Amino acid sequence: MSRKVAGAAAAIALIAGLTACGGGSDAGDAPTLTFWMYQPRTPQAGQIYEDLRKGFEKANNVKVKYVQIAKDDYNTKLSSAIASGTAPDAGVLDQPLVSRFALDKTTVEVPAGTIDESAFYKGALDTNLSEGKLFGLPLDQTTVGLFYNKKLVPTPPKTWDELKATANQVHQADSKIAGIVVPKGDGYGAWMWPGFVAGAGGALTDDASKKVLFDQQPAVDTLQMWVDLLPSSPRQITDSDNAFANGLAAMMISGPWDVATIKDQFPDLDFNVAPLPYKTEPAGNIGGENGVVFSTSKNTALAWKFLQYITSDANNAKFADAFGGYPTNIKAAEQTAATIEPQQAAFLEQLKVAHARPAVPQWIQVNDEIIAPALEKALSGKATPQEALTEAADKTRSLLGWNS
Amino acid sequence: MANPVQADRPAATPDRPGRRPRPGFGRRDSIVGWLLIAPALVYFVAFLLYPAVAALYYSFTDWNLRSSPSWVGLANYTDLLFDDVKYPHFWKSVQVSLMYTVVAVPLTLVAALGQALLVNAIRKGSNLFRLLLFLPVVTAEAAVGAIWRWLYDPQYGLINVILGWFGVPPQNWLNNPDLVIPALAFIAAWQCGISMIIYLAGLKGIPLSLREAAIIDGAGPVQRFRKIIMPMLRPTTFYLLVTGVIAALQVFGLVYVIFSAANKSVTGGPEQAGLTYVLHLYLFAFRYDAMGAACAMSFILLVFIMIITALQFKFVKQEAA
Repeated sequence: MSRKVAGAAAAIALIAGLTACGGGSDAGDAPTLTFWMYQPRTPQAGQIYEDLRKGFEKANNVKVKYVQIAKDDYNTKLSSAIASGTAPDAGVLDQPLVSRFALDKTTVEVPAGTIDESAFYKGALDTNLSEGKLFGLPLDQTTVGLFYNKKLVPTPPKTWDELKATANQVHQADSKIAGIVVPKGDGYGAWMWPGFVAGAGGALTDDASKKVLFDQQPAVDTLQMWVDLLPSSPRQITDSDNAFANGLAAMMISGPWDVATIKDQFPDLDFNVAPLPYKTEPAGNIGGENGVVFSTSKNTALAWKFLQYITSDANNAKFADAFGGYPTNIKAAEQTAATIEPQQAAFLEQLKVAHARPAVPQWIQVNDEIIAPALEKALSGKATPQEALTEAADKTRSLLGWNS
Repeated sequence: MANPVQADRPAATPDRPGRRPRPGFGRRDSIVGWLLIAPALVYFVAFLLYPAVAALYYSFTDWNLRSSPSWVGLANYTDLLFDDVKYPHFWKSVQVSLMYTVVAVPLTLVAALGQALLVNAIRKGSNLFRLLLFLPVVTAEAAVGAIWRWLYDPQYGLINVILGWFGVPPQNWLNNPDLVIPALAFIAAWQCGISMIIYLAGLKGIPLSLREAAIIDGAGPVQRFRKIIMPMLRPTTFYLLVTGVIAALQVFGLVYVIFSAANKSVTGGPEQAGLTYVLHLYLFAFRYDAMGAACAMSFILLVFIMIITALQFKFVKQEAA
């Protein structure tokens, strides 16, 4: 084991060395801004980033240096760079990390007057909050919607009751086909769940008053609804790889990334995407990336200017599209909406009613270690939704030190 | 003399009285010697010793990789062992790794020995079979994960098809908490190529005369296996047991690949049934921002492995008989 740790530490040392070498600016008087981001998903995306960079450099007479890192390694490498004092000026950050980085003062608050908050989707903007203050600008956003097989589901369900009825009809017509791939009690399922809870008018927490709310009725009803779907959607069918794309499940909950994959690998499947079914009000979850400025940066003004630039009306659509998400800037999103494929429209629509994750630094841990097992406990029938969630909420209160 | 190695060397005539003769190396030779081992030494210190010592230090701190570590004494260790609010799945991960070890190691040894016996027995084409049986070891972990996800698929999986011939109903291997460990252990056994090669070498090392003598004495194949092959392979088995247990307690890559590939989730499968100790450690190090606690976990595992290994050296027969 010490070998593994040694390996990790060695990797850190190595990265620190590499970034130290890479950090030196070569150009003469023009200030250089270092910006960390994920590796482009496609050559086209890489070209878009390049064009944006050149545009900014020309307009401001500066240099921008991209450091592009594979998404899977990004957080580790970024943490290593910060630990070794070689953090970039600015960079991309996964939404739930923003409040963590803000809390330990790794990143700086957005200066007043940097943006017009009403120009952005509220859900996306809220993912930048830490203790009520903004610590980043939303770069792109994503959500999950209801994928449905048009052959099996002619009109998509809008409400939970319709969803249950549709799933039942499908499974009764052919017992080899599941109604819907019910999300699991794992980290991924726990990420999607709040979107449904919001659809019942609930929330997982109230950050301002430090209250855990997911043992209350909306959350319990949501989990009960997932449990109720299982008889018409047996795991034995839906756990098969690509159950939806293979036509074994009539519906599934997933994100825009699956639209491209299915079109590419299952060209015969006739499908569309609808917003998530809801109980009392349309709602959804949210994911995506924000842009932050690191406290060690000597170019903070320039860094915010660059983040303004890639979130602007003119550029955010290009940037978000290259990133694989949707614009966070409302005007930019209108451009995207005009050119979008039908299967993508529902996501963009739903993002208007998306709810940010709780801005709690330990949220990923709560999501993975407490909520996910509670969902699974109820879904596997080992506890009722109320029992599982009461226990989970109590654990969360202890972990976060929120006593009410 | 204290040093038994030097004791039986012919005593060189000392140049000066009272000074022990240096066997072999002069001073200049020793510089050359140091230079020769320098690359390995630098590697060892920079990439193994220093990080290990640093990790030990960090295990006594609260550290998120970003801000400077703060000293917390033994808190990480006591919290891991006793605080089930902070680390609700620590003991679960211990249990998963132990279960996995108990199932996977014997299964791997049996599979390896069986394969080695077969390869050893055939006269033609044993090279080909050795290669085929070794292939799973050199296959990239991501590919192994993808293949086995498909083999274990509840709808189309080949494993269920084969079991179906014997009337076994289809199982949901990777999603039924009770079946996750056996499913993973089976993959490990399939990847037993290295153990197979070592067993094969062991088999080749058994003197033919023993076999002939046994045949003359009228021992059948089963008796020969029990009374000659097994005892003669005991050092090999002991070596494979010790290294196999150490490797099994550290299993990580395969679990990570199997459960993250299709489920987009790294939390260790259904009901944490596949949350092995090192996967749990990884999550705290790189996902939950608790590098200090992760370092403490690694040292707990180190001590545990040392104890288990010492117990094996004490209680398992290791000499060939």
